[in-house]
Amino acid sequence: MAKIVVIGGGWSGCAAAVIAKKAGGDVILIEKTDMLLGLGNVGGIMRNNGRYTATEENIYLGGQELFNITDKAARHVNVNFPGHKHATLYDVTKVEPMVRRLLKEIGIEILLQKRVIDVEMDNKSIKSVVLSDDTTISGDIFIETTGSTGPMGNCLKYGNGCSMCILRCPSFGPRISVSKRAGVEDILGQRGDESYGAFSGSCKLNKESLSEEIREKLNKEGVVILPIPKEDINFDKLDLKVCQQYALKDFAENIILLDTGHAKLMTPYYPLEKLRKIKGLENARYEDPYSGGKGNSIRYLSIAPRNNAMKVIGIDNLLCAGEKSGLFVGHTEAIVTGSLAGHNSVRLSLGMPLLELPRNLAIGDLIAYANEQIRTKEGLKKRYTFAGSEYFERMKEKDLYTVDKIEIRRRVQRLDLLNIYEEKLL
Amino acid sequence: MIQHRIECVDIGSEFCPCHLAETNDCLICSHLQGKEFCDCNWRGVCVYQEYVWNGNKSKNLRSEIVCKIEEKIEYKSNLTILKIKTSRTLSRQLKEPGAYVFLRDIRLPHYYDVPMSIMDADDMNGYIYIAYQTIGAKTKMLKKLNNEVLVRGPFWNGLIGIKYIKSTRNKNCLILARGIAQAPTLAVIRKLNRNGCNLKVILDKGKIDEIFLSKYLKNFKVNYTETDLMKNEGKLLINNILAEKKYDLIYIGGSNLLQKHILKILEKNNCISKLVITNNEKFCCGEGICGSCTTFTQNGELIKTCKTQMDVKKTVERRNMLG
Repeated sequence: MAKIVVIGGGWSGCAAAVIAKKAGGDVILIEKTDMLLGLGNVGGIMRNNGRYTATEENIYLGGQELFNITDKAARHVNVNFPGHKHATLYDVTKVEPMVRRLLKEIGIEILLQKRVIDVEMDNKSIKSVVLSDDTTISGDIFIETTGSTGPMGNCLKYGNGCSMCILRCPSFGPRISVSKRAGVEDILGQRGDESYGAFSGSCKLNKESLSEEIREKLNKEGVVILPIPKEDINFDKLDLKVCQQYALKDFAENIILLDTGHAKLMTPYYPLEKLRKIKGLENARYEDPYSGGKGNSIRYLSIAPRNNAMKVIGIDNLLCAGEKSGLFVGHTEAIVTGSLAGHNSVRLSLGMPLLELPRNLAIGDLIAYANEQIRTKEGLKKRYTFAGSEYFERMKEKDLYTVDKIEIRRRVQRLDLLNIYEEKLL
Repeated sequence: MIQHRIECVDIGSEFCPCHLAETNDCLICSHLQGKEFCDCNWRGVCVYQEYVWNGNKSKNLRSEIVCKIEEKIEYKSNLTILKIKTSRTLSRQLKEPGAYVFLRDIRLPHYYDVPMSIMDADDMNGYIYIAYQTIGAKTKMLKKLNNEVLVRGPFWNGLIGIKYIKSTRNKNCLILARGIAQAPTLAVIRKLNRNGCNLKVILDKGKIDEIFLSKYLKNFKVNYTETDLMKNEGKLLINNILAEKKYDLIYIGGSNLLQKHILKILEKNNCISKLVITNNEKFCCGEGICGSCTTFTQNGELIKTCKTQMDVKKTVERRNMLG
């Protein structure tokens, strides 16, 4: 049996593990913190705009498990807020244990609080990964989903300093780049001004600290929009954000709160003093990242060069997914790239041709398009997501965007890819 | 590519970040080595964060204080034991295995600074005990001390493999010490003893011709055997001991020659224990600045041994390489 080692337990790592297991792999997942899902523990926005199409595509490809969980954990369904339609907001406080249970049930070995710090190579193949306690874990195929956020020094050098974000480097240690340790140079995302990295897009307020009126509205409708006092409006801040789908004028002029269990505040950071000037937020305090008034995590400093089958170029047995594989934003993007990497890991172990999703599926097009763009200077300053910005426009132009499930099923079926992730290859 | 993972003994202490950060020579932080991105051997603290928070400046160097010599015991063969009154804080900081200070006569210039292992520290009353052997110019000048001595510290890198001493609990440990290296061995025995380890201790008089540690060992639940570790009797004894029981940790206190000799015996016995050895490099400043302790690993990395913790076998390998 092929031993597949997944490094990183975020959404993409979990998706890779699930699909690799379904294809018949013997899967071990290594996560440095004490929780799975990584940034999935603070996000929560699903199915908005083109993510709806991508979600349904992945389900018809045979990767339904994780989307079933996010749908099941939804607090609000079919929510609209500026620039975004039919969003589902999952409860960030409920989703992680559900995913952990699923992984355990299907027989994935999970190592928590184990830090990968190095690799042992055999020419251009990874033999094993080295953990911080000096033990090694060997495998046939490795999938890197360590993301691109942090570590603390980078958050400080390229941003406002450690915000004690959900990744909690001070406790669990920073991310390292497995591909770089294996000898492949990282690709770095840029901001508009060509400085490296980008700020995370949002932070969270403790819901109990908000006024009763806001709380009720959040619980009922999922969205609250509060105007920002004129003197505090800062349009420049939009350039900092990684989530270009939310870099809209509305997000500079208003406080936009979404209910994901906590109150998700759609801005990379916001000084508490200014925040408390706004009616209903007089007693507001941050949930995580705890230093959302000041610090913020920095992303996109560690992307691996890959082909469209998610294999890392230059290393024979390493695949990548999630933010490690491109300037992607979001859980959906992580899950769909992770699913493909997981499926291909088993193919790679068997010497089979790797699956590339065709460009007449939104997922296939995003993966290929991001790969093209990352090779250009301008492309490094952009982010790729089904939910908005440039890529959603492209989806609409190419007629890839639809919320018609029957149509999406028909497309997948016509390509003869229906339930391909369900196939047991081993 | 497996890189040689070195560790800085000062990280997380009040002396980190040090002057090496200001000159982009930090042992740990890639940003403070002049590189663009984070890639450190995480020690639980972000050195870069500490540096920026300190106003992009290093923290203070160790200060020098004038201390009173309370007691001086001279043995026949160039062995002297000093009882020095320090502050309670300094003696507490020096209680760790591997701790050392620099000593100097107050009337002499700074290049007479001589590094000395701490044998014992009494943090309740603020005393440190130092045993030294008179060998060269610096130690001969210590002989002429009156009632006072300049003490600079605390420093901590007197042993290589400190983390194993701290983390080994309820295991069998073999302690070997020869000559003046009995002095730094006391703190090792104390720590392992407190961690519930079962200790087998072998002491060798060496050139100083004295088992001066025996007096201090009375307070611990350990017995010791006496032998000449460099002779055949010592080798046979170690062979027997290793055949009898498995040891989780082996400590070797003594010269490079002794360490090499013992490692050969261990190798022949296929012994895979964790290793701790005394750091025998020559220090002058202890701060990673002067360069007197600078050396290279086998794969060409520059190491400042006054601050660097590294794998014991690599340390000895390097010495073998040099002959």
